[in-house]
Amino acid sequence: MNRKEFLTSTSTLLAVGSLPVMAPAHSFSTDPVPQIPPYLEKGDLIGITSPAGYLLPGDMIPTIRQLEAWGFRVLTGVTIGKRSGSLAGTDEERLADIQSMLDNPEVKAIFCARGGYGSVRIVEQIDWSRFRKRPKWILGFSDITVLHSYINRNIGVASLHSKMGNAFPADPLNIDQVIRETAESIRQALTGGVICYPVKPHARNRQGIAQGVLVGGNLKTLESLSGSKSDLDTRNKILFVEDVGEYLYSIDRMFWNLKQTGKLEKLAGLVIGGFRMKPMENPEEEFGLDLYDIVLEKVKGQKYPVCFDFPVGHQKNNYALKCGVRHKLVVGGENVSLTENL
Amino acid sequence: MIKTPPYLEPGDTIGIVCPAGFMAYEKAAECIRVLTEEWGFRVQVGKTLGGSSENYFSGTDKERLADLQVMLDDDNVKAILFARGGYGMGRIIDDINFEQFKKNPKWLIGYSDITVLHTHLYTNYYISSMHAPMAAAFNNAGYINRFVGSLKSALSGNFARYSCEAHDLNRTGAGIGELVGGNLALLANVIGTDSDFKTRERILFIEDVGEYIYSADRMFLQLKRAGKLKKLAGLIIGGFTDMKDTERPFGKTIYESIREHVKEYDYPVCFGFPVSHTDENYALKIGVGYKLKVGKSKVTLEE
Repeated sequence: MNRKEFLTSTSTLLAVGSLPVMAPAHSFSTDPVPQIPPYLEKGDLIGITSPAGYLLPGDMIPTIRQLEAWGFRVLTGVTIGKRSGSLAGTDEERLADIQSMLDNPEVKAIFCARGGYGSVRIVEQIDWSRFRKRPKWILGFSDITVLHSYINRNIGVASLHSKMGNAFPADPLNIDQVIRETAESIRQALTGGVICYPVKPHARNRQGIAQGVLVGGNLKTLESLSGSKSDLDTRNKILFVEDVGEYLYSIDRMFWNLKQTGKLEKLAGLVIGGFRMKPMENPEEEFGLDLYDIVLEKVKGQKYPVCFDFPVGHQKNNYALKCGVRHKLVVGGENVSLTENL
Repeated sequence: MIKTPPYLEPGDTIGIVCPAGFMAYEKAAECIRVLTEEWGFRVQVGKTLGGSSENYFSGTDKERLADLQVMLDDDNVKAILFARGGYGMGRIIDDINFEQFKKNPKWLIGYSDITVLHTHLYTNYYISSMHAPMAAAFNNAGYINRFVGSLKSALSGNFARYSCEAHDLNRTGAGIGELVGGNLALLANVIGTDSDFKTRERILFIEDVGEYIYSADRMFLQLKRAGKLKKLAGLIIGGFTDMKDTERPFGKTIYESIREHVKEYDYPVCFGFPVSHTDENYALKIGVGYKLKVGKSKVTLEE
């Protein structure tokens, strides 16, 4: 995906009009479409906090430099550089840091520094009352899926699934094009740019067109939320999932969890991001099904489009996605795209 | 009260199948020898033990389902011992036909991946099954130990009276309730599905193996956030063995973290109970009433 394609206008994408639309606009989920926080303007303050894993204070320097280069001001939370085991401070410290960012009216967006593990340990202790009155963008992915799901389900506010502290290169001169594009996708999304990603077609895709609110995130984290207050309602929505470092059999078990909890039944569309699998310790124990087999057997009998190899996940090409915002997914033989539906 | 399948008599037939991962026949040979020669049962071996599968599974979903279905429907088979777990029961559970089994319940024996079947039976049919050692536990003279011995004893209809040493993190007290539980990863995985389970006023037991501490912590919190730790009669934490840690250590053991997660409740909690992926794995009957006593120096679990 080059920069030109990245900025392809929605009108050319909508030209792929001969495919069936799976979810007509009137059949949206009973959930109200989430509220969209105000987009950012130059001079706005972005808070950086880590509700999950530990990182060194220096780890955030490239991020801070880039955010400032874009014209934002940065407030670095006390959890950056703090450490308690593998966490960025004790539960109390991480909770207090994100709480102060949520409650501070000056802070217009909260940039989660790192995933790892830990958000679930504090999510239900967070007081969301001020955020509810004055929503702001929350950014991150992986373990931050906990926050995306919680606010989608319980607050009804959109949030940004995006790269975190590793989004920006340490050496600003050594900029890989994909890294530049993914970083730029964060700026675009935060400042009100319309999401519009053309994607390379994949041979195992299931074609069709879907419209619906976009939800999703890290598959293992989504599985760990089932039965909780943050459990996603996927009806009439476009669901995206990604994961890393799991055994194939474990991925299969997680997709069974999605299916058996009814989350694959009434989807508008399914977007499969990057899945970098962990090899079995014993090569003789080969699973016998690949990721595509695993997904397609779970959605057999359903008619919605399925898009593989979407650029989201624990990888370089991990573009910013607006969770809780209506999108249109087009999966054609030659054109595949995900576009924000205005 | 929960329906318990008939206990076994000498000469009864035990079926052996692999509903999940592959197992070579030789690895179950000692188990088969002990069941027949030492314990006096007959054994009927299914096609999925040491089958022709070349991948992870002991057979295709259809083959594993068919093998288990034959054993479930055969009234001559009085119990089914799963040779091993691994992964695969969740792929076939919704396709199993339990009609004949409901009429003629039999003991289904296993743990780990078999946890799905245990909670499924408990929730949907209210029939007891046995969380117990599988075929590999018999190897290397394992069949002489008291844990494999507890399986023989349970199958014969004896009431269990287990005890273990007190652990520093234990919370003392006593609780009575139906016993439910199994492998933590599987318990988390079935939440929200048709195999989900109730824990209210019950004794919950969990164990796991080979997980990262953070991952076990996340799964335990899932149980908590799904409301499954709220009104327990008691909580039994079995072995969390071969645990892995991240490059930057989690900073606590999984036992310490679990202890913190349950500090707001007042039921008895015991750590290090012999239910695990090691030899130390007592046979436990799912859904049957037990009394858990967590004392200052000793823990007992009695049927």
